Amino acid sequence: MSLYLFQALNGIGLGMIYFLISVGLTIIFGLLNFVNFAHGAYYLLGSYLCFTLVSLTGSFWLALVIAPVVVAMLAWVTEKTLIRRAYHLPHTFHILITLGIALIIQELSIAIWGPIGKTVAVPDALSGVISIGDFFYPKYRLFVILFTAVIALALWLLLERTRFGALVRAGSEDAQTVSLLGTHIHKLFALTFALGVGLAGLAGVLAAPIRGVHPFIGPEVLGLAFVVVVIGGMGSFSGALVGGLVVGLVQSLMTTLWPQGASLMIYGAMAVVILLRPYGLFGRA
Amino acid sequence: MSDYILETENLGLRYGAFAALGSVDLKIRRGSIHTVIGPNGAGKTTLFHCLTGERRPSSGRIRFAGRDLTRQPPHKRVASGMSRSFQITSLFQNLSVRENLRLAAQGRDGLGALAFWYSDTHRQEHVRKADEVLERIKLTAQANTSAGDLSHGQQRVLEVGMALCSDPEMLLLDEPTSGMGVDDIPVMTRLISELGKDLTVMLIEHNMRLVMSISDRITVMHQGNILIEGDPDQVRGDERVKKAYLGESGS
Amino acid sequence: MTKPNAQTSIFSGVTLAALAAVILMPLVLPSATLATEILIFAMAALGCNLLLGYTGLLSFGQGIFFGGGAYIASLSMIHLDFGLFGALVAAMIAGSLLATLVGALAIRRTGIYFVMLTLAFSQMAYFLAYTLSDWTGGDNGLLDVPRPALSLFGFELADLTSSYAFYAFVGVLFLAIFVFARRVIHSPFGTTLVAIRENEGRASAVGFSTNHFKLLAFVISGGITGIAGALYAMLLNFAPLSNIELLMSENILIMTIIGGTGSLLGSLLGAGTIVLLGDLLSSIWPRWMIILGVALIAVVLFMPSGLWGGVESQCKRWKERRCTAGKTSGKAQEAK
Repeated sequence: MSLYLFQALNGIGLGMIYFLISVGLTIIFGLLNFVNFAHGAYYLLGSYLCFTLVSLTGSFWLALVIAPVVVAMLAWVTEKTLIRRAYHLPHTFHILITLGIALIIQELSIAIWGPIGKTVAVPDALSGVISIGDFFYPKYRLFVILFTAVIALALWLLLERTRFGALVRAGSEDAQTVSLLGTHIHKLFALTFALGVGLAGLAGVLAAPIRGVHPFIGPEVLGLAFVVVVIGGMGSFSGALVGGLVVGLVQSLMTTLWPQGASLMIYGAMAVVILLRPYGLFGRA
Repeated sequence: MSDYILETENLGLRYGAFAALGSVDLKIRRGSIHTVIGPNGAGKTTLFHCLTGERRPSSGRIRFAGRDLTRQPPHKRVASGMSRSFQITSLFQNLSVRENLRLAAQGRDGLGALAFWYSDTHRQEHVRKADEVLERIKLTAQANTSAGDLSHGQQRVLEVGMALCSDPEMLLLDEPTSGMGVDDIPVMTRLISELGKDLTVMLIEHNMRLVMSISDRITVMHQGNILIEGDPDQVRGDERVKKAYLGESGS
Repeated sequence: MTKPNAQTSIFSGVTLAALAAVILMPLVLPSATLATEILIFAMAALGCNLLLGYTGLLSFGQGIFFGGGAYIASLSMIHLDFGLFGALVAAMIAGSLLATLVGALAIRRTGIYFVMLTLAFSQMAYFLAYTLSDWTGGDNGLLDVPRPALSLFGFELADLTSSYAFYAFVGVLFLAIFVFARRVIHSPFGTTLVAIRENEGRASAVGFSTNHFKLLAFVISGGITGIAGALYAMLLNFAPLSNIELLMSENILIMTIIGGTGSLLGSLLGAGTIVLLGDLLSSIWPRWMIILGVALIAVVLFMPSGLWGGVESQCKRWKERRCTAGKTSGKAQEAK
């Protein structure tokens, strides 16, 4: 029994990381109306920056704050210089441009950090396990669950309770209205892109001590995020949350039953959802 | 054979509590030009979409040429002899006018067009059909122009021409003069009344002069239901119609 | 746009250009193996072009069909003793079947969702191949893939172990597929695909059940790509896991786009450019793929009709100049 509880907790932690990745994808899609195929590459960058910052300063906490911000700033620059030029083009063009960015980031990462994966140590304060009765659970993984829950709440408040969030939501409905409100739509686009990508970077940092850093993780992360949004429906906060948790739990519980097939099962689950509910669990036609 | 080519029975479409279409019994006589008018939000477009198959009605039935096609997808209705145009011009922008029409004619083949093993020029009948329609809509001189390079008026005419290519028994035209300049409207008026000699035409239209001059029959819709139906003179004189339109401008 | 008959016929200038390329490549390039690799990826790009250039479907699933074809051909030769043609037919069928599966599921959605689904299926195929390591060799790849002799009804016609002999075989096959692809795009089916690309709503309104057309486009594309995968395994004597990775799908897409979508010669040009670039640069600078990323962005932003589009407009400009220049044309040519 405690094995399943252990795996369920693992699944929630993993699912929350998937949520961070997918919600970023979803926010960007909602406002800017395109899918960022470089999302996985920015996650990778987050992980690598975490590795470098931890090796330089020895502080995971510093990395946790700085790495996502750096990733977001890079995203902001990319939006200003490249992505902006493609807004008037069909969505195929956005996909291809961001695909190009993904390739560049991945190859540059290998050039800088080498083709062999890296490991990031769990911060001292969170190493070891916590025990309740005869149940043991790693402190760091528990921290990830709590921390991502706080981030999710903050994000929800940001989107629902602030002027920025209201603009993002209004812009998802109709970008023209927002520009009529006198808001600089370009500024809003750049900020939203930076926020969404920053969340992917944050996910990369949080996952680094658990899964390590591997230069070819980008496509896998992107694929997983797509599975989450296909299952949960694109453009919704709750869809990303539920989709992320479903995928995390399926993957984690499958690991005990059929370790090799765990990744495979997620995609199987997606195929089933597409067959039964082509528009996702919460999607509308 | 029934006098009526198209009959709807108790046709309705609800979105939750809101009835976009209440309960519509519409009969369209074979060979007539039948116009549906009504203030904005009267349900004309919803009715049109149910007839073309874009929306599936939540109640009622549609019979066309003796067949029930309530649940048929749009592409199958073409084979039954029903063809439509779009309110917002919907062409193959980068292809020539003739290729636009040839493809529209090829649409009649349905799955027959899945043939990938012979050259398209084998099927001369589609090319002939395209040329015939070009003559009819008087765009022969523009045959090799890209559809996207035509003037707006010409695009509207081509829009109707596309619907002609499948040799339909009945044409459904969604606001054929939408966005047209004053100078172009007589061209469209003439085209539609010409077409009305050979086939049944049902249209939604806002231009009252055109409606009154070419329609054999007019149905006025209001709040998702049929208000009245009659010939142009009856409709012109009807107090309820005036009220319905006034109500719109008053609100 | 309605082309005169001469252009749609099989032996047009375009086919002759492809033929010329097939003949010239082994003479110009340093090795026949390199030339073979170009033709194999040109086939894969042709398959991709059918979807992207003609139907408007951006598919990240091409690696599934490529890798699937490679595995099935190799397994059928290793375990079932299939000959050359048997293995190629098996690969074609496998590619088509996989494309039917992926296509049937992915075209249930359109636009961005369609693209995301093809990518997700590509990841799924990768994990499947990885998991079935008893069959695929997993990370190590499938080793000792034979390259059977060319034989018909038990008579051996030619041994293909020499790289030039194999090139000749691949060249003939490439030309056959090229001609087939031309036939497809000029058929009623092909013109309908273009209609769907241009305006799916209208295509449906004039009577096409667009999903059937998209699915058949997938099946044909998958079949061609499967054959390419099989040939690649025979070329390398090896079917690596990377055949079915997402990167393979991306590479095939990039070749198609950089060459020029919507033109078959563009696919050959794109495959040639990328394969050569890789061959030249990978030994000097292992991270040469950065250039691919930059090139992809540049083509998308500044040259949407790709290299072939650039060549075409250059030719047009040159012709115009020759016409208008009249007498001075001789000098203009000299200057060039």
